Order: sequence, then structure tokens, then C-alpha cells
Amino acid sequence: MDYDILLGKPAKDKSRKKQMREIIFFKTFFLLPAVLFLAVFMYYPIKETFQLSMMRASGLGESVFIGFENYVRLFTNEEFQSGLINVFRWAFWSVVIQIPLSFFIAFSLVAYRNKMTNGLRAVYYLASVLPSAIVAMLGRFMFAPNFGIIASISRKFNWVWLDKVDFLGDPRIAFWSVFFVATWAYIGFYIVYIMANIEQIPVDIREAAELDGANRWQYAIHIVLPIISYPLRIIAVLCVVGSLKLFDLPYLLTGGGPGHATKTLGIILYQQGFVNWQYGKAAAIGVVIFLLSLIFTVAQFSWQRKEGDIG
Amino acid sequence: MNDAMVEKNKKDFRTGSWFSGVIINGILILLALSVIIPLLLPWFFVFKTRLECSYNPWSLPTQIRWSNFAEAWTAIRIDQGLINTVIVCLGAIACTVPPAAMAGYIFARYRSKVTEVIFYLILAGYFVPIQMVLIPLYKLCSQLSLTDTLPGVILSLAAFGIPFWTIIYRSFFKSLPGELAEAARIDGAGHMVTFFRIMLPLAKPATVLAVLLVFIGAWSDYLLSLILLNSQDRFTMQLRIAQFLNAYGVDHMPRYAAAAIIAAAPTIILYILGHRWILRGTLAGALKG
Repeated sequence: MDYDILLGKPAKDKSRKKQMREIIFFKTFFLLPAVLFLAVFMYYPIKETFQLSMMRASGLGESVFIGFENYVRLFTNEEFQSGLINVFRWAFWSVVIQIPLSFFIAFSLVAYRNKMTNGLRAVYYLASVLPSAIVAMLGRFMFAPNFGIIASISRKFNWVWLDKVDFLGDPRIAFWSVFFVATWAYIGFYIVYIMANIEQIPVDIREAAELDGANRWQYAIHIVLPIISYPLRIIAVLCVVGSLKLFDLPYLLTGGGPGHATKTLGIILYQQGFVNWQYGKAAAIGVVIFLLSLIFTVAQFSWQRKEGDIG
Repeated sequence: MNDAMVEKNKKDFRTGSWFSGVIINGILILLALSVIIPLLLPWFFVFKTRLECSYNPWSLPTQIRWSNFAEAWTAIRIDQGLINTVIVCLGAIACTVPPAAMAGYIFARYRSKVTEVIFYLILAGYFVPIQMVLIPLYKLCSQLSLTDTLPGVILSLAAFGIPFWTIIYRSFFKSLPGELAEAARIDGAGHMVTFFRIMLPLAKPATVLAVLLVFIGAWSDYLLSLILLNSQDRFTMQLRIAQFLNAYGVDHMPRYAAAAIIAAAPTIILYILGHRWILRGTLAGALKG
């Protein structure tokens, strides 16, 4: 309370120096919590990650400096290579499938607005707020062999070909099953995000398009798409960076298997670090994830610069 | 753009055939059903015995049995997990939002070369994936004896949430008229008083958004709790569900279905209660972020 009284005096009574000191004290006091949090729980661990990635280190014994050996070993390791391929395959298909699908749904919800569409939006978004453990639980419920819903339905109708498909256990199919579940869970957010941006488009533009005789889908493709291309690219970057970090859903659904079919960089990192106690290797994977997401984020920012609307 | 203008933009299309409308609405409903049906299907199985379920999975249950729920409840023990999750959520809010609001305020209103440098350091933190620092974070927490404690999860979550919310608060405080703060200062209010009495109440929309989304983020966290928590009675809800997933298979379908219902219930109830807020919050975040 002393402090308030001190500050309670009119500003002009105080010497400039004292005011400056007060402002500096105030700034420091207000910045301290955030800076401390980041310094201790982010920047210190980042420094450690770079260091560890150059070491042969496990939970026990001494760490030995080995330079870039961890990285060399990673990139010649078959598991890591397939993880890398999976992650980029995932990123590619999320951009190619999830974004157009979300755009289609979002635009339909706006263009065919009726009493029901607001409710539908809330339903789509529900899948996005379900935590991944629950999504994985529902995914196994649908896809499990013999007892799962799909197997059960195909047996009911005697669709032997479908009954034989092992959605989570067949290395050729597992990736797509997990991807399907992820699409189910993730597009709710994209839909809401794209809808928000479509609704920002001034009504005059649409009326002009209508006067020129454009129907809804011509309007969508020739006018809406170019206008919201920037938010769409942000989602694309979110998709790519999200794939690099992907862990929860594949880990819970398949554990990365069968074989390496659904291994992601996140899963390999977790297994190296917390199952095999190979701290050095896990840290090197962390650095790779960081550098790759940095590249895509920088790309996003340079796009943003070009658009000239950096906020 | 203000709400009235957005409202005007929502005006309906005049042209277009009713036929395409029917088709599109049909597709939209089908897609919505694909979200709802997996959540409803478990009810088909929960009242059956295991035998009944494997012979007649799609018939109506012969009688209503609640024993599967009881069994699933003891297997998943979600109650303790739910309490832990709520503690983590509240802790994450308490450790994320105030530091972010305070720092965002300084970056918006007390700019100098030093604060700009600090701001860019914090901004950089927004792009650091938590996966990158998993190992050192775990080691750090064990040095601070924070492993296997909820504060360990809370503090780590907060550190990775603060950058984003600092950015949001900064742009929010920037958008507020500066005259208000100046007027308060001329009236003799100190820096602290100006912030807590004038500026923070004005930033309420940002605060509501932050509280809501930090809550959701902490609620769905899996990776951090997975690496930091070991003992059963500290497990969060997600860990409990994952544990059930790994320990009990789908082969006991009625029990699995009951567990799925129990696992999804808290989230769905919260969503039904708060979906307006959640959607509005996401929209605001989407347009600002």
C-alpha cells in the first residue's frame, strides 16, 4: 500500500529521476513473472536440448560429447526415416484433404444458412474439443478387429471383404485409419476458423457477385477463396507444424505400429527418451522437429510480410 | 469490423435452386451425424452381457443392466483423474493468464528498446514445440522435485502458454484508447492502480478468452502429464483413459462401451453447457491470432 500512496501524488511534484525509477521498477515487476517462467521452463531446457543432442547420454552414467553423431545415426536409422516420411505424408494429406473439406463445410454453412446450421457448427466443433484419449478410445471402438463397430456391421451384412480388413493392424491401412480419425477430430476447428473469415467478407461484394449472375459455388471459388487465401495458408502451416509435432492420436491408437507404419517423430522421440533412455538421441529428434517447424513458420511470416498486414 | 456489420453479412443468398440447397443440407447433416453417431453407439452395447453382445450386437438389450458401468468405473477410476485434471486446469489458468496480461500490458503501453527485445524473446517462445524440450524439461522437473506432482505439469503448461497469451494481451491493450490510462495517471493514479482498476477490467474480453482456452488446453493435455506423472493417484483424466485403453481391450465390448461413455461424459457435459462461449472464444482467437 505504501507504493500506492507514493504514486498517489500528482506527477509534476516528483523529480524526473524518481519517476523514471518508478517506471523501471514497475516494468521489471510486471515482466518478471513471464520472463522467469520462460527462462526456467523454456529457454534453459532449449539450451539443454542443444547440448544433449551432441552427447551420448542416458539416464545413468556420464554423458560424453560426441558432436553430430546422434544426428548422423538418426538420419541413417530406418525407424527415423520412416517417421520422417510418415510425418510429411501426413502433412501433405492434411493440407490436401482436411482444408478443402473444411472449406466446403464452412462455406456451405454460411451460404445455406438456416435455423439448423448454427447447431451443426457446434456439433462439428464438439469433435475438436474432445481430448485425444477419448478420440482414440472411440477410434478403437470403431476400428477394432472382430469386436469393433465396422467389423460387427460387416458381419451382420456378411460383407466378408470388409470383415477381413484389419484397420489398425494392417501396415498398409493403419496410417489411413489413424488419419481418418484425426480428420474427424481436427476439422471442427478449421471449419470454425474458415467460417469466421468468410463472415468477415462485406456483403456488398457478394451482392455484386450476385448481380453479375454468379451462383454460390462460382462465388465461393472465384471470390471467397482469393479473399481468404491468407487465413487458409495459416491453416496449412498449422497442419504442417501439427504433423511435425503429432503424438497423441497415433500413439494412443496404434502405438506407432504395426512396424513403423504410424510412427511419427513425436512417438520416436518419446520412445527413445522415456522407454530406451537415450536422452542424446531424443534431444536430437527434438532439435529436428524444432528446425523443421521453424522453416515452415518462417515461410508463413514471409507470406504475411508480403501481404503487408502484420499486426 | 463490428458485430452489426458481421450480422449484415449473414444475409441470405437470393439466388440458387432449392435442389442444391437440399443436397448440401443433406451432406451437412450426414457429416454432423458422423460426429454424433460414434458418441451414441456405445449405448447400444452397455446394457448387454458379453455373450449377448457378441451374438446379437445390434438387437435391443433384453434387460437394462448397470453392472457394466460399475465395472468400467472401477477399471477407469475417472473420479480421481477428474479432480486432478480440474486442479491442473485451474493451476494452468492461474499461472498463465496473470503473467501474460502483465507482460502484454508492458509491451503495449511501456515500450522501450529493452521491452521490445524481451517481447521478441517471448514471441520466439511461441514457436518452440514442447516436443523439443521434453527431455530437459523432465530432467529439470526432477531436479526441482516436481516430477510426479501436479505443479510440475501446471508450471510447464504455463510456460508454453504464456507466449501466445502475451501476444494476444499486447494487441488487445494496444487497441484500447490510450487516453483512458493517461487520464487516470493525471488524476494521480499510480501505474499499478491504473492497470488493476482501469486497464485490466477493460481487457475483460481477452481475459475471458484466455481463461476459457487455457482451460481447454490443460483439459486435453496428454503428453506433459504422460512424461511427468507416474503414480496412479496423481493421474489426470487423460492418463486414466489411456491406461484403460492399454489395459482393457475392445473384446469385452459392453465394458469398453461403458468406459467410453464415462470417459467422454465430462467433456460433453462441459461442452453442452459452454459451447456458446467456447465457439465465440475460438472465433475471437481465430480472427486475432
